Amino acid sequence: MSTSEVTADTAVAALFSPAWAQAALEAVNRGPSPAARAKKIDRYWSWIDEVRPRVNAVWGLAARDLEGPNCLLLTIEAGVVTRAEVVDLDDGRARATYLQVGDVDAWRQLANGYDVGKAVMYRRLMLEEGDVLLFFRTAYFWTESLAAIQEIPATAPPAAVPA
Amino acid sequence: MMTLVHDLAAADAANLESTDLAGMGSVDIDQVIAYVHVGTAKLPGYLELYRRYLRQRWDVYDLDFERDRSDWAAMAPEARSTFLAIASGFHHGERQVEVELGPLFMGIPEDYKIFLTSHLEDEARHTVFFDRFYREVVGVPGETILDVLDGSYQWISETFVGPFGLLSYLTDQLRRDPYNPTLLMRYATTYMLWIEGVLALSVMKITLGYARDQKVLPGYYAGFTATCRDEARHVQGGMRYIRELLDQDPRLVSELHETLRTLLALSSTSSRYVLYEPLGWSEDQVRHLIMEQFTKKMTMIGVDVPPDIKEMLAKIDPVLAGG
Repeated sequence: MSTSEVTADTAVAALFSPAWAQAALEAVNRGPSPAARAKKIDRYWSWIDEVRPRVNAVWGLAARDLEGPNCLLLTIEAGVVTRAEVVDLDDGRARATYLQVGDVDAWRQLANGYDVGKAVMYRRLMLEEGDVLLFFRTAYFWTESLAAIQEIPATAPPAAVPA
Repeated sequence: MMTLVHDLAAADAANLESTDLAGMGSVDIDQVIAYVHVGTAKLPGYLELYRRYLRQRWDVYDLDFERDRSDWAAMAPEARSTFLAIASGFHHGERQVEVELGPLFMGIPEDYKIFLTSHLEDEARHTVFFDRFYREVVGVPGETILDVLDGSYQWISETFVGPFGLLSYLTDQLRRDPYNPTLLMRYATTYMLWIEGVLALSVMKITLGYARDQKVLPGYYAGFTATCRDEARHVQGGMRYIRELLDQDPRLVSELHETLRTLLALSSTSSRYVLYEPLGWSEDQVRHLIMEQFTKKMTMIGVDVPPDIKEMLAKIDPVLAGG
């Protein structure tokens, strides 16, 4: 959904840094840009607007093979992100209502615009904690929130070079 | 409410069971859809379904798309657009139901495992069927199956991730805990009841009805009608399995209902408008098709529909996809 490129610009936040976490909080609360909204019909956004107030959860997003703190935790109250932090995956696993986990490569691809629907259906991000039925009752809130996060310009660790 | 799902005489069912791929072009899609519900008071056993598979298996490379290419070029742009919105949901849906079957093998009865090998092979063949259609008729390029899937991804709705993403995540849970009856019920409800039994058997009628009535796309009609007959076996096997799960533990009906509530919540919106009229349908007709298929599946498994689920069903805005 995004076409922004991961950049080497050091002024841009690194994935899973505190600055990126703060940007994620703001992006989810801001919602889609007018241009992004225009790509889908009103009925779809109305569905999200309707379920959003019912979302009360700690949402974890993690990169399992990233060294150091590698799990973004967003505390969401009535659909509003009230806290963002980056913690170790074990800590995130213990605290998250829903935890989606991928590898660094998946996060690099997402930051380069990889489709969030494919990220779910092609198993680049898997739900490792949480009730899957409850998670999916507000599914499009999560996918659009992820789409908002992927719009944040971010740097990622370089891809591993095959031996 | 108009009846869009037809009943099937025993003689027609017998004829349908023995028709080969060459004869599929003259089979009426309404009969194939009705065939799913023949004899549902006593659903066929898994090994009987496996024998049917052996008799009904078809070679996807025998299909000839030459006339489809000229028919496609002659179709009105609006009809092609609606057709692509629906067929692409099946292109991706068939791929999805193919790749999500693996973990089910571990926790199901031994006879079902035998039948499931044929189910898996069917879904791979259906994926190749759509791959051929998109390459040879629509003109989507690509070296691999995934290249062509990526090429048609632009035409599917963003809400496709609802039921199919749920299936992907349920599959992953089942991979980690393959004997868990709760997960097996959630999985079977999502896959066999909803995606195959309701969505696929409803939505496939739209493009097939158009091809039949307009007498166009004979390769697509033959291949997708044969696909529908394959789905009939999968649905019958799946409904049998759900019945068995409920016989073993009637409390699992709550998992079935909760899964349906999730699927219907996801199915109450869409991210794109689809104009059905260019293919001779209306949104209300499609909704009725889905409601009828849903009711028939619930009858097959002998489960009552709670009032809140009936209300949710009446508001459905379905993903135009299946597998």
